[in-house]
Formats: sequence, structure tokens, C-alpha cells
Amino acid sequence: MLDNMLHFINNLIYQTNEGMVHPGLTAEWVLTVLVLMLLMSVWMISARSTSLSRTNLTGLSVYNIPLIGDNLRKIITTPFVLVTLRLFTAGVFLLVIAAGLFGTPLAEKNIATMLTWTLWWSAVVVSVFFVGSAWCAICPWDAIASWLVRRRLWKRGNELSSLNLKVPKLIRNIWPALGMFVILTWLELGYGVTTSPYATALLALLIVVLATISLAVFERKAFCRYFCAVGRTLGAYGGIAPIALRPVDPNVCADCKTMECYKGTEDIEPCPTHLLMGSLTQNTYCTSCGSCSQSCPHQNVNWQLRNIGDEITYSSRPHWDEAWFIMGLLSLTIFHGFTMMPYWEGWMSELAFVIGDSGRLLMSFSLGMAIAMLVPALLYMVCISWLHFLIHKTEPWRRVFSAMALSVLPLAFSYHIAHNLSHLVRESQGFFSVSTNPFGVDALPLSMHEVHMRHMNPLINDEIIFALQATLILFGFWLALKILKARLLQLDGVVLNRSWVIFLPMLFYISVISMSNLWLLMQPMIMRM
Amino acid sequence: MTIFNNKGKKLFLLFSLIVMSFNVLAHHVLGRPSYSLGEDSNTPPSMQVETQIGEYYVTYMAFPAFPKPGEAGRVNLYASRINNGLPFNGKVTFKVRDDSFFSSKQEQLGIQDIDDGVYRQGFIFKEAGDYIITAEFESGGEPYIIDFPLRIGEPIPVGPIGISIFVIAALLIFVNITQRKRLARIKASQHHNEVV
Repeated sequence: MLDNMLHFINNLIYQTNEGMVHPGLTAEWVLTVLVLMLLMSVWMISARSTSLSRTNLTGLSVYNIPLIGDNLRKIITTPFVLVTLRLFTAGVFLLVIAAGLFGTPLAEKNIATMLTWTLWWSAVVVSVFFVGSAWCAICPWDAIASWLVRRRLWKRGNELSSLNLKVPKLIRNIWPALGMFVILTWLELGYGVTTSPYATALLALLIVVLATISLAVFERKAFCRYFCAVGRTLGAYGGIAPIALRPVDPNVCADCKTMECYKGTEDIEPCPTHLLMGSLTQNTYCTSCGSCSQSCPHQNVNWQLRNIGDEITYSSRPHWDEAWFIMGLLSLTIFHGFTMMPYWEGWMSELAFVIGDSGRLLMSFSLGMAIAMLVPALLYMVCISWLHFLIHKTEPWRRVFSAMALSVLPLAFSYHIAHNLSHLVRESQGFFSVSTNPFGVDALPLSMHEVHMRHMNPLINDEIIFALQATLILFGFWLALKILKARLLQLDGVVLNRSWVIFLPMLFYISVISMSNLWLLMQPMIMRM
Repeated sequence: MTIFNNKGKKLFLLFSLIVMSFNVLAHHVLGRPSYSLGEDSNTPPSMQVETQIGEYYVTYMAFPAFPKPGEAGRVNLYASRINNGLPFNGKVTFKVRDDSFFSSKQEQLGIQDIDDGVYRQGFIFKEAGDYIITAEFESGGEPYIIDFPLRIGEPIPVGPIGISIFVIAALLIFVNITQRKRLARIKASQHHNEVV
């Protein structure tokens, strides 16, 4: 029977002779993950002991870590380390722009494409798992924009530097960030920015210009809060992270009348995204800039270690736009996987033939992308309507939609990391040689031998990669179930205690998406560069 | 008697251009270049485009990928039918035009017959610059036009940086002047109130 199952799974793996491809998960791993997913589902339905909310979400303060706690306090409450890191990332960013504009057009030999798409784009999502949204604190887009507008390396800018207008109400949400994410994905996968150092540099420049315009026109950092696709992605995933900025003692914040964290001081900027530390329950908009920890006169703000996923399980309260952003994240991460399958090009070619598209097949790609984005969203809406019916419509449909979106976030996060892991360990090999010749002076394209060597020698062993990918998918599934249970209890604990049927709609959705992600990881994936 | 006045002529011209461009767009593509080594390992890197146009898959290859002024190069074109893989067998016209903003220079490079399934066209450019090489052929009574960008010599990428600096500088100056005026108005108003 086991052999039959393995044989069945093997039949689902696409066999290809096209170019260099990354191998996908083996049937043994897939079967193991499926069995564990089934056990987890049974456990979730049978265990009824989950409380409505965790009574104590306070984590361990990094100030209290033995030996290094005091040093961390000094680092966190002074701006020098942060400014040094920002100077470093801004320097690397300017190098990327210069190399993209003036260096070789060979994507695999230019630091602009190698660093941006292979290393940074993959690693920045992985970083959330360890340091939350810390990337935003050293983001070169914001750093350069701030220096240009404020005209100082640190300290608060004067009132002449910005018009400080309020963001129009229509776009005071993260729909613009979702739109930007869709555009970035289209440029990345459809237009092929990833294979053009010049286009990569132009995109980087354009984002700096947009961040600068936003900072010069709108109050605080509207770009970070409403428009930045990367920041909002890290913000959404940040709820899963095991670390976040929080008050040391909530009572100090409750008694605080001056609210320096929100308003800033003479020297230190106010919170760039309008957050008040005393009432902060979710990290969605925290950019980890450290202004609150530097400005607090009581030194009551610090990094806290907490359980993975506790925030989105118990305390996050997503709005309608944030829920849709999560759906966008899920759809686009799955879409990323699809476009790197060997048969994607064939599908696009056939679609182009049907609709009469020519050349770069951008119309076909756009249509394919729209369909790929709509399918998970429509299926989600159907499942939400089913759930809404089961809870006798005691809650508004929109609220159910928003609350349940959190349970699919871990699926996007885990697949995002699992997918990028392949790129990271198999394609970042050439980074050392590129870093010694960032402009690719006199560089030649990779020979077939070099491509083959990269393909055959990943940074870590294939079996370890498979184990990590399988663990990530399981982790995503487990966390999704945990959130689902907690959110269903919050939504309608009475009905939940009466019948297990209420689990079915979202359990179905979570299972379908997890199995789709697993199926994508099984398939061979075309090397990007 | 005139049929059109000036405005009418312009509208007619615009309409004609749009209508003509529809016909051309039907089988007119701009290839997306990628770089690779040639089939023969001793050759310099080539620039290659694979594209789908009408009923054909077209592969377009230029050697060398980064030609310099005065250096001989060539383009190879392969065209095969999507439905049965048979190569196009006819004549292909290769043209070149200057792709710089204010130039309209264009000339014909040559008309080539198929040679072992490939259409080959040699070239030598005297001046550095951005050019578009166009391959044209006709099949089934319909024109097929494939444009292929080619850079001769080193690029001059000051444009994007210049534009970015200009936009940012203009914005910051505007913001600064606006805010100074606003502050001055507030101060004047305060002074006026104090005097009154």
C-alpha cells in the first residue's frame, strides 16, 4: 500500500528535460507531511480545551537576558548603531544602483540583480522569522529619503522640510501597498526585471524617488505605512515573529501623559506610523525604527521575545484592507511558484496562441496572473460564506472574512520561505565572485559547465533543504490550525463547542492551500539565474 | 475647396496612424534580450531573443552581444511555425534604425534567403549608439515585423540619475519655499495681531 501511495505521488511530479531545474520534494517527504497534516487536523477537531485568549502575552525582555542585556539596552536606546547600519545599507544600495546602470548587463554577473533578487528578496522574508520587521529600520529607501528631506543623519527634521499634509482618506489604508505589490510582481515575473541589472537599478531609483516625494509631501512616513509593498509584507508576517518592540511595564505606559513614543521629542522623530506604544497589540505597522525606545524617558520600550505566532493567534485585529493584503500575499506567493514551473511557459504560449498575443506575451502573462490571483481569493470567499452560514450569520460577513484571513497568513509565510530557500541555497553561490567584481567588468555569461556546477552544488545538502521545506509547510499548517481554532472561539465559541462542523469550511481551505503549496514544492523549479 | 481644415487634418493623421498601428501591432514585436554564450565556446557572448509572433516562434541571435563601433557582427534569425515546427522558407529583410530620441535615420542592411534553416545578416556600425534592427517577412499574406534592440559601444546611463536628482531637487526646493512662505505668513499674522 505504501508503495502504491508513493507511486501515486511520484506520478504527480512533472518530468522534464528542459534546462537546469531545481529538484522538488521527494514522494517520501510529501507522504510524511500529508500524514502529519492529517493527524494535526484530527487533533485540532478533537481537542476542545483552547481558551478564548491567552491571559498573558508578555514575553521576555531582551534587557533581562543575562550578560548581554545591559549592552542591548545601550544599543537600543541610542541611535548610533542604527545610523551606522543605515549608512551601510544605503552604501550597498547606491552600489547596486551604480552597478545596475553602469555595469554588465549579464544578470548573473552583476551585483544589482544578484544581491537584489537572489539574496535580499529571498533573505528579507526569512529574516522576519528571526528579527521581525527589523529590515524596515535599516531600509535604504527610507534612509536615503529621510536624509534628503530632513537634511540630517539623525535627529528630528525641522518643520520646513515637509509639507506635512495628511494622506487623503481614500488611500489611508494598505490598498496602495497591495497595488504596488501586484505591480512589483508583474515587473519581476512578467517584465523580467530580475534578469536586467539596468531595470533593477531603475526600479530601485524609482522607489527612492517615491519614498522621497511621500516624505516631503505627507506627514510622518506615509510611504512606509500605506504604500510600501515590502514594508507591509514584513509587517503582515511580523505578527508571526518571535520578537517585537513592546513596553517593559504596561502600567508605566498607562500612566504616561507625555507620550514621547507617539509625539517624539526635540531630537527624536515621533513614531513614523502613528503607533502609541501603550496600546500596541499588533506589529503590522511597526517599522522597528527604534524612535520609541530612544524617546521614552522611562526607558520602558524594548525588544521582547515571545512565542511564535502568538500575536496573530490572539491579539491581532485585522481590518478589511489588511485581510485583503493577506489574501494578495497568499495568491502572489503561490503565483511565484507557478511561474517557475517548467510547464508555465508552455501554458503561456498556448494562451497567447488562443488570444492572439505576440512578442513578450505580456497580455497572456497578465491574464494568467489575474486568474492565479483570483482563484485562491474566490475559493476563500466561498469558504467564508459557508462558515458565515454555519454560524447563523451572527457576525457580519466582512468581520468573518477579516478574522479568518489571519489563519491563512502562516500558509503564505511558510511557502514564501520554503520557495525562496531553494533560490537562496542554489543560486546565491556566485555571490562571492560577484561581490569581488560588482560591476562585472569583462565578465562573460555563465558557461553550461558553470551553470551545471551551481546546480549540482547547493550551499546545503538536498536532503536538508527538503527537510526544511517539509518542516516549513508543516509549521504553516500547524499555526494556521491554531489560529483558526482561536479565531473561531473568538467569533462564536458557543457554536464551536456544540459542533465540529464549524471547522470544516476553513479546514478545507487551509488543507487545499497547504496541499497546493506542497504540490508546487514537489515540482522541479526552473533556475532563475 | 478644402475637405479638411488644419484641425481636421491633424485628427485624420492621428486616426490613420492609430489604425495603421493596429495592423502593424498584429504581427509586430519587440524582442526581450537575454545573454548567453554562443554554441561555439570560442565565440564571444551573444544576445538572444526568443519570441512568439503570429503563427511563428522566432529566435533571434546577435554576435557579439556587446559590439563596438567598427566591429563586425552578425544576426541570425530562425523562424518556425508554432503548429508543426516547419521553418519559414522565404526572404527576410533586415533593416536598421537609429533609436536615439531625435533621430529618424533608417537604412536597409540586406535581404536574405534561408541558409540551412537560418537567415544570416552581417553588420558593421561606425558610430556608438542605440539601434533597432528589424527583420521583416511575409507569410500567409500577412507582414511579420520583429524589432531587436542593439547597443553599439558603451551606454551613457546618466539619464535616470539625472532625472531622479532633478525631480527630488525640484520637489525639495518647492517644499522649502512653500513652508517658508507659510511661516512668514503666520509670523506676519501674529505680528499684526500683537500690534492691533
